Amino acid sequence: MPAHLITRRPGPNRRSSQGTGRLRAAALTTAFVAVLAPVLSACGGDSAASDGGSTLKWTSSYFPTHWDPVVGGSGAQFRELALTYASLTRTDESGKAVPDLAKSWEYNDKGDEITFHLRSGLKFSDGEPVDAAAVKAAIERAQKQKNSALFGDLTSIKSVDANGLDAVLHLSQVDYQIPQLLGQRVLQVASPKAAKNPEKLDQNPVGAGPFVVTQVIPGTKALLKKNPDYWDAKNIHIDNVELTSAPDASTVVSGLQTGVYNFADLDPSQASAAKKAGLDVFVQPGFNASNISLNVNKAPFDNDKVVDAVRHAVNRKEFVDKLTFGYGEVTDQPFPKGYVAYDPKSEDAYPYDPAKSRKLLADAGYEPGDIKLNLVIPAEDPQAEIVQSQLAKVGIKVTIKIDKNWATPFFAKDLTLSLYGTTGRDSAAQTLTAHFGPNGPLNLSTPYEPDGFEAAIAKVRQTPLDSPDYTQVLQGATRAGLKSKALVFTYSQPNLIAKSKSISDLPKNPAHIDWTGVTINGGN
Amino acid sequence: MVRRVLTLTSGRIALVILTVIALLAVLGPLLAPQNPLATSDNTLAAASGSHWLGTDYLGRDVFSRLLDGSRVSVLGSLEVALMALVVGAIPGILSVYLGRTFEWITLRLADTLVALPFLLFAVAVIALLGNGITQAMLVTGALVSPLFYRVSRAATLAVARSPYVEAALVSGASVGWVVRRHVWVKVLPPIAVALAQTIGVGFIIVSSLTFLGIGIQPPAPTWGGLLASDLGYLSYQPWAPLAPALLIMITVWASNLLADAIRDVSGEAGRAFVNNRKARANRLDGPEPVSTGGV
Repeated sequence: MPAHLITRRPGPNRRSSQGTGRLRAAALTTAFVAVLAPVLSACGGDSAASDGGSTLKWTSSYFPTHWDPVVGGSGAQFRELALTYASLTRTDESGKAVPDLAKSWEYNDKGDEITFHLRSGLKFSDGEPVDAAAVKAAIERAQKQKNSALFGDLTSIKSVDANGLDAVLHLSQVDYQIPQLLGQRVLQVASPKAAKNPEKLDQNPVGAGPFVVTQVIPGTKALLKKNPDYWDAKNIHIDNVELTSAPDASTVVSGLQTGVYNFADLDPSQASAAKKAGLDVFVQPGFNASNISLNVNKAPFDNDKVVDAVRHAVNRKEFVDKLTFGYGEVTDQPFPKGYVAYDPKSEDAYPYDPAKSRKLLADAGYEPGDIKLNLVIPAEDPQAEIVQSQLAKVGIKVTIKIDKNWATPFFAKDLTLSLYGTTGRDSAAQTLTAHFGPNGPLNLSTPYEPDGFEAAIAKVRQTPLDSPDYTQVLQGATRAGLKSKALVFTYSQPNLIAKSKSISDLPKNPAHIDWTGVTINGGN
Repeated sequence: MVRRVLTLTSGRIALVILTVIALLAVLGPLLAPQNPLATSDNTLAAASGSHWLGTDYLGRDVFSRLLDGSRVSVLGSLEVALMALVVGAIPGILSVYLGRTFEWITLRLADTLVALPFLLFAVAVIALLGNGITQAMLVTGALVSPLFYRVSRAATLAVARSPYVEAALVSGASVGWVVRRHVWVKVLPPIAVALAQTIGVGFIIVSSLTFLGIGIQPPAPTWGGLLASDLGYLSYQPWAPLAPALLIMITVWASNLLADAIRDVSGEAGRAFVNNRKARANRLDGPEPVSTGGV
């Protein structure tokens, strides 16, 4: 908005007939443009690119702010980075690690050393070879680079030996989670030559994934083309990708209808409109779990009864009904039901019971209104309003504070009450330690950890993934973690996607967007 | 001046609307039929007897939220206008009398402030000082103040060089007396026009900031905030944005209408304009003129 105001001089208003004519002409022109614009935009196709190949036009809520995977971390934008970066492993539809750049791997007998055997003849988009030296460089960069968001995930890796196409990882402890860990979320491998200049890599990604980035407009748009040197290029049937940062949620459906996009992350509030528009609306399975983070090192949460009162004050169904329009699920764990780490024995351990919550507060010596808390969040979020309303019903007064610099006090564990939502990790052990470990980034109560959790998670690491008791051991660790007083899980936000019917169905890999085998009609 | 504004239909309409809006700001929270913050399971409900404008995505009564949210919009726009008035008009008048150095500094300052986009600046200030509408509005008021500075300076210059003011100064009148006795009377009408116009601009700024979720801590309702949240649920309630949008539009329109009316009736030309209207009205009310002959 310009900073100019039109000064009106005292005196009668006299509008000349010439001025009126100009005004009418301007109004007519505006009306003409308003009518013409939608007509022209509707003429756009929805699948074929100008060069005749098939084009994926994906508008994403997680457009990468960093294109260096080491800086980007293991958050939700890994799905977009996976367009251009490949990893040692990936996960299948059950969430189990399967080959990607590594065609196979094996542990030593003790379980403290793992060797990944890379596919031969692969190269990065800058022509550098994909070999064990590149893997070693990627791991060491993730461990040592100053602005790495991944170093906390790689503490089990002591050193790496590069022998041609064999990368030997020496571990600091027995850890059978490594193949799960080194998937797309934690070790997308960049060209070591390009990574020598991390600042440049951050804007000009160079990987060995299914697509090659040809142009990046930071924060706005990225253009990619199919990588003919990708190891599974024969199963990639998309020629071009136009990745854009998602506009306002209310305009996404019209963008899909007019062919501006043919694939979009969708806010649940828009699902109904998308279905009415004849689009394919589907939920990609995922590990999303939102929580209320409590700091048990600070009053009043240093009182167990207050923590229990909050646990019983939370009506999870309200989150699902009001925020996900029925597409989400209630959850009291950081895993979806049916996933190997989901512990059925811990289900609904603290059911919604406001009367019990009020009694617990009274037992703790608090009258209604005695407890006043600031709920600090980074941006406006209806979740916070629901939490505020639910806690008000049991007599806890919550004031919502928006702090644009929220991340600093949150990760410094300075806040008393906050909200967080994870998109999960491919390694269940990593998810558990991130939430419940004494230094877990999502544990607002550091250095607190629930009793027995450390031993339980160590046992998970020591249990091979194909061991018959792996499931039991993993669920035991989940149970131990859920004793944490620092987290109250609420609901699972769905990975809701709308796409043009011209795009074929995607593989149902949890939280991943896998383009293998996906076709776009009219383009191929 | 109020009486003269009331002689115009546009002035009467503007004052009625702005009075209603002002009353909403004072009494709105008391008039709200339901608790504007109370959520319910009845989400995105259509208008009904119990919810005149339906409910929002958390089941809150939209009508009550509109009434409750009027105070923030009105106070915010008044803060902008009053801040701009104080920061702009006084230096504008004084720049004529306090010497060339003061004049030069204030002119350059006004030029600088005009160059700053006030909405972006308000966002930056909120980021710097914390989330609150008052600090943003006060800073925005300072950025809008060059309007008042230029208007008051121009009017003061016109008066300061008139023979009767020079005569008063030669006769020993103090600058303060001259400003109070002669200048202020001439400066007031254009300032009143600018003030009404700035109140309208203030509404737009408050609504824009709250539309972006800036300046207000949720769940406090605001007109801009309601408009923003309604846009996310158009497929369920396509009519929902109408109420907050119309309120914002009508209020801004009324402010501009008032500015026009003040401009039309102020000054010598305005006085003549009103007198001509009155004379014309009297002629129309009187007997038909009788023909004095001729072909």
